[in-house]
Amino acid sequence: MSETAAEAGLARRSFARPRALRRSALGLAGAAAGAALFVHAWQDTDASLTSLFHGFHNTVNLLGRAVPPDGSVFTDSIRASILTFDTALLGTAVALVLSLLLVPLAARNITPHRLAYEAARLVIGVTRAIPDFVFALIFLVAVGLGPFSVVLAIAAHSVGVIGKLFAEAVEDMDMGPVDALRAAGASRLQVFLHAVLPGIAATFTGLALYRLDTNVRSVLYLGAIGGGGLGFLLYNSLQLFQYQQATTELAVLLVLLLVVERVSLMIRQRIV
Amino acid sequence: MLGANGSGKSTLLRCAVRLLEPDAGSVVLCGAELVGAHGRELREARRKAAMVFQQVLLVRRRSAVQNVAFGALGELPLRRSLSTRLFPAELAERAHASLARVGLADAAWKRADTLSGGQAQRVAIARALCQRAELVLADEPVASLDPHAAEEVLVLLGEIARVEGLATLVVLHQPELAFRYADRVIGIVSGEIVFDAPPASLDEQRVAALYEGAET
Repeated sequence: MSETAAEAGLARRSFARPRALRRSALGLAGAAAGAALFVHAWQDTDASLTSLFHGFHNTVNLLGRAVPPDGSVFTDSIRASILTFDTALLGTAVALVLSLLLVPLAARNITPHRLAYEAARLVIGVTRAIPDFVFALIFLVAVGLGPFSVVLAIAAHSVGVIGKLFAEAVEDMDMGPVDALRAAGASRLQVFLHAVLPGIAATFTGLALYRLDTNVRSVLYLGAIGGGGLGFLLYNSLQLFQYQQATTELAVLLVLLLVVERVSLMIRQRIV
Repeated sequence: MLGANGSGKSTLLRCAVRLLEPDAGSVVLCGAELVGAHGRELREARRKAAMVFQQVLLVRRRSAVQNVAFGALGELPLRRSLSTRLFPAELAERAHASLARVGLADAAWKRADTLSGGQAQRVAIARALCQRAELVLADEPVASLDPHAAEEVLVLLGEIARVEGLATLVVLHQPELAFRYADRVIGIVSGEIVFDAPPASLDEQRVAALYEGAET
């Protein structure tokens, strides 16, 4: 039997395509590399089933010491949750305004110039790539501890996120009305105001509300590193083993998150 | 204007207002050179020609009358055009009058996306009227309409051309419609004009020749 005939026989007996042998060797190496990666990750993070078991034990213990909730921090928690919301609101609003300025440049289909497009995309790319946590660390140094540094951090990171989503919404939109108004002699800004914005205003509002919802969560953990608000209270209570206070704060936190999410969802459903 | 698919009819109209950039040559629109024109100069020139498109290109979430007023955006200073509320009262009157002219006075406050195809195309014509252009360029304005609505739109375009004294260039795919409504019929093949004559002096063969050998 010639070699080709043998190969053909082999091919007929399996579902693998010819030359599959070399591929499967590559696949095997890939699988081994993947497995090694996971083993390393497991060791690197000190993951262990014993710790998990002890952790569970500690958690039950903690839960026992967390009831009944301490009502004395209730008003403070409410006040802090309002601060958390305000921080997210202001940060998102600043990002929104800045993104609206960037979008006419950052959407390929309406940008006045390639350079403007690249510059706007660079701003969006960089601010999106840098996590709000890093921005917060920077602004904590720049403007000092407190919610304002978190406002700036949220704004800086959200410019990238909102800007990218907005620009993509504009790139996906129907260009017909834009052409129609351009053909009638409207200026770039006029076209943006009357043909672009009406087409995507609902999408923009939806995205902005969704981002606000996400930012409330971010403010919680950014608060813990010195930004104030409910995240800061909760972090302190846990650090000081005040588990009953933490229970109250967690309850308020949960209500805050649920309210923001529900209201934002309601508005989004209304406008779409 | 008649011609097979790909013969350059739409390209010509889009080049005429520089929605498309011509590779070479010049575009003279109502006496103004458009190639190389920028900013205000280009916008002023574009205002002289009103486009009516194949797909009706209205701003969907705006009312019919607002869409009509958008035709005049080019003549408004920026501060009066930031919002439709700032549009001059004269423009609102003109927009309503233009809508009445196309028989849609009652639909003024209907949102554009609730209009039928024929109504929407008439709103687009009203927008062209409101623009006070010297020339109307219509790119297959009846291609997506049923025969009845198509008839209405063409009658309207013809009427406006004659009453307002507006030169109107209409790209059509149906020679019989061109023969019925046009004063002149222009045939193009591969971007070249092969005839330009009143319908009475044209025979079927010359028109049929436009579509010969063309891929459809």
